[in-house]
Order: sequence, then structure tokens, then C-alpha cells
Amino acid sequence: MINRYSGISPKGDLILLKRLGDKLAGKSFLHVNSTKAGGGVAEILHRMIPILDELGIKARWEVIEGDEQFFDITKKIHNALQGNQEKITKKMWQHHFEVNKKNVDIMHLDDVDAVLIHDPQPVPLIEFKKSGRWIWRCHIDVSNPMKEVCNHLFRYCGKYDAAIFSVARFAKAMGIDEFIIPPSIDPISEKNMELSNTEIHATLESFGIPADRPMVLQVSRFDRFKDPTGVIKAFRIARKYNDCMLILAGSPATDDPEGELVLNEVKEYASGDPDIHILLLPPFSDRQINALQRAATVVLQKSLKEGFGLTVAEAMWKGKPVIGGAVGGIPLQIIHGITGFLVHSVEGAAFRIRQFLNNPEMSKRMGERGKEHIRQHFLITRQIRDYLSIWYALDNGGKNKLDLSI
Amino acid sequence: MECVTILKSTGKTARNIRDLRAVIARISEESLFHHTYQYFLKGHVLEYTNDFAYWVAESLEIRALSERLSSIDPFVFEDLSHLRQELLQSIDDYIADFPESRDAISGEEFYFNETVTIIFPVGMRAKNLAEFLLAVRYVDPASIYYHFYEARIRHGTDDFSTWMDDVLGNRELAKAICAIDPFMHNIEGIRAHIVEAVENDVRHDMEVIRP
Repeated sequence: MINRYSGISPKGDLILLKRLGDKLAGKSFLHVNSTKAGGGVAEILHRMIPILDELGIKARWEVIEGDEQFFDITKKIHNALQGNQEKITKKMWQHHFEVNKKNVDIMHLDDVDAVLIHDPQPVPLIEFKKSGRWIWRCHIDVSNPMKEVCNHLFRYCGKYDAAIFSVARFAKAMGIDEFIIPPSIDPISEKNMELSNTEIHATLESFGIPADRPMVLQVSRFDRFKDPTGVIKAFRIARKYNDCMLILAGSPATDDPEGELVLNEVKEYASGDPDIHILLLPPFSDRQINALQRAATVVLQKSLKEGFGLTVAEAMWKGKPVIGGAVGGIPLQIIHGITGFLVHSVEGAAFRIRQFLNNPEMSKRMGERGKEHIRQHFLITRQIRDYLSIWYALDNGGKNKLDLSI
Repeated sequence: MECVTILKSTGKTARNIRDLRAVIARISEESLFHHTYQYFLKGHVLEYTNDFAYWVAESLEIRALSERLSSIDPFVFEDLSHLRQELLQSIDDYIADFPESRDAISGEEFYFNETVTIIFPVGMRAKNLAEFLLAVRYVDPASIYYHFYEARIRHGTDDFSTWMDDVLGNRELAKAICAIDPFMHNIEGIRAHIVEAVENDVRHDMEVIRP
């Protein structure tokens, strides 16, 4: 499988992956998160595990199981870490811990060489550590969290060997090594592979979307932090002088109980506008999302808070001009004015939509630069390389310089 | 050879010019190294030559100090302590003239990082100029960084011109590569100039060998 990345990923990344694979072959690497479907974490794990296996590493992926109450609590924790005011009682924290405790047996934590715990849901598992290097991987924008919630959670996090954040400003002083590793996309997955025009047109037809009009697209969960109503406002301003339609497409995630509520709000706000298509796609609609992104004239990710915003990298990989909110990891992907535009308001988004719609040459130029930027920095091979590098560095006494030429 | 780096947070931040000075004065040499020498490893903005100059201009909007910080050539210092002194001196001079400092807006603070650097061979070997030309066109940007920038810290000059001179005995080509200004191009620009210098040399040789 790794050979399929030849000619796509940077050569050095593939060479280093094989070298690190040789060093870590036969060792076990457990990943734990909270959902098999929906969201960027599950998506990347689906692709990463087989690659790790092929490198000779015994990779395993477990999903924490919990009741409805558990996911309501973890959603509140998630929102509080992103800056929302939430009340999390002592009893709720206790339930969070108890559910983790119940999961210990199915996780088989004995005899693991490295464990990567994704996000806050499975964080208390550290209390049941038996062996190996334990790393907490935070995918959330924690730059301005609710202090009380943050402090409670970080009592667990401080027991890990290291933590990984997606962006430098998310890192916290937890007294452990904190690395900055952006997430990534898989260029050969169904979501990002090349598609024929026939397939793209067939997908549009299946959704009842005309193929002959300029299309503004946002792909994301129906979540207030993704500002879907702000996107509709921006679209309505841009439409005044420019014929275009808006597609809002997203899949539900099992760990997001608010999704349906937000979807209904968005539908109400769109109020039957025939130029606005709201698509609730089933999980694993990767090929359809790929087709929509390839059919789009302009792609938006107008988030107000964002862990990273991988849909930006996906659209850029397809050579599309992209407009993103200047939050989370989006400024790492969009270099303003070079690989796309960063915006701070509805009006800013509307202005940039109009600019792209009226200037196809500029759109093409930025799209091409964007694609190369993603190739160099945001493909899955780079992310796996970084995870293995950290594991290898921790195994080697946390040295800052490692020479693998021997 | 090639090197990749993985960012590691130091947990230290600066909100204004006085904070920046205070942290630069005591931050690890690894962090100083990252924000100056390793600036060239990124797809950097050519207006600036290090992260400090970039932040001072873009987030604090202090253009004069940014220009001075950008004019610091990190490759002329014997060690990082001298580079640190030069950075501090530039900031001190500015603060003496303009003692009032302003804060960067929230979220635009300067974040001091270090890196874990991994060095590894990329499995390409050039025995002559033709092979070198082919390789230099296709190696990753990180390999160009390692041999063009990082080499200066190891032995004072880039690896390419050293090889041209020491192994191929081609002093003219070595001089042409040495003359490429490391601050005025990003890595792709450096690659293009190296290719151009080698092609000119090959063309010149071909023109000499006429019947």
C-alpha cells in the first residue's frame, strides 16, 4: 500500500517512514478514540492503521463505548475546551471516569508499546496504564478554554509521556513534552482520489444539483462552530451580483448529539431558498463529498472555532480556491493571498466569494499553489512519519536530534 | 541527506516587544536556532529572514525593528550566544527610542518552539555533474535546505559548492553557487538558481569542445 504514495507524497517522507518502520517493527501501537464514523479523526485512523501494519508495526484501533449520558458530557467538555460556558458537575466527571474504567478490559492495555489517546473522551484511561509510551493527541482548538474544565482534564493529561496539539497556540504548560503535529488527508482515499467527470456529473444529478452554475460549497458537520448560517448570509450577499448556488453538505457523527438541532436551525434559516442545497449525507459518503468538492467553483470553511479544518486541505488538494475563517489550523493551510483567503466576518467571506467568482485566473493560480502546499505539508504520510518520529524520540531519551543514517 | 523537523512547544509566549526581549534573553538555544536558522526550512515569506522579524512586522506592526532584525545574518556568528546578543541589542536599541510597547491582539502572540530534528539519507548519489543536475531537480525541498542552509552551520558554507570545488575541482561553478543569496529566495528559488548555474557550466563546457 505504501508504494501507492510514490509519485504523490514527498520522497523523503516515504524513505523516512520505511526507516522508522524498520526501527519500530514488531512493536504494538494502540489508538483510542470515540467514534468509528464521522469527523476527521476517525477518517484518518481508517487510513492510518493499514499503513502502520504494512510498516511492520502491530497497529490497533479501539473505540471507547459509552451511554448517551457519557457522550452528552463529553460534548460539553469538548465545547468548554473550545471556549463555551458549560456546567460540568462532579457527578458528570465521575461518570466520565467510570465509563473509561468500564472500557479498560476491552482495550487490552497490557503489553502495548505505544498508545495514542485521541481527544478528551478516553483521556482517563491513563489511570490504567500498564506499559508503553502514552501520548495524548488533542485535535481541538483549546486556545481559549473554560479554565475549570481545562484544569480538571489536564490533571489526567499531565500523567502522559507527551501530548500532541495541531497548532502551536493550542499547547498548554502541562509539564510534559508537547509536540505540534498538524493532521492530514489521504490523497488516495475515496475522498481525495481523482474522479472522472462522468462520476462528478452523476453525483450532482443524484442530488438534483445543476452542473452548469457556479457552485459555492461548504462541507462540514452541522455544528455552530462551523457557522453554517454565516455561510448562508455571505452567500446571499455574494449572490446579489453573481449567479451562483450554495451547497452545505455534512455527515452526522455518533459522538455529536447537537448535530440534528443545528441542521434544523440551518434548514429554517435557508427557508426553502431554491439556490441553497442542504445535504445530510450518510457516514462514509466520501466519494460523493469528493465529487462535490471537485464540482465546486469556490470552497468555504467559514469556521468560528476549529480544531484544524481538514476540509480545507481536501479542497486545496483538488486545486480549488478556498476561503477559510482565520481560526484553528486554517491559517496553517491557507497562506492569505497565496494559497487562498482568510476571513474574519460574513462580509469578508462574501467579498472573497465575489473575487473568486469574478477572477478565474486568480482562482486557478491560488488553487495550484494550494495543492503543492498540501502535498508538501498535509498528506497522511507526513503525519504517520511525525507520530513514529515522536515515539522513536521518546524511546531514545527525548533527544532533540536523531541521526538515522546508521 | 535530508532533515525533517517536528515542532515542540516550549510553553513560552510573548505578547509585546518587552516580552519578546525577556524570553529571547533566556530561551533555549534550540528555540533560537529554530526561529532563525530553520526559518528557511519553511515555505517562508521573503520579506523577512527569521520568525522574530516576521512577528514584529505582522503582529506588532513595528516595521523599522523588523527591518533591522531581518538584516541579521545568522551564519556569521560563531555560536548562538552571539546571535542572541545581536537580537537583544537590536530590540534594546528600539526600546530606547520607543519605550512604549503595544500588545499583539489575542491569538497573535509569539509562540516559542523548538524542534526534534531527524537526519536521514535519501538514497541518491551523484558521481558527476550530469547526475547532480538530475538529482537536484527532483530531491525534496528539505534536502536542499539540509545541504544549502544547514551545511553553513556545520562547516561555514553550503555542501553543493564544497563538493563542486573539492570533488569535481570546478571552482568557477562552486563560486557561482556560493554567490546565490540565501536570504533572497525560498527553497524552490534556490533550487532554480542551482540548476541554472549547473546548466550554464555544462553549456559552457559543450561550447568549448568544438571540432
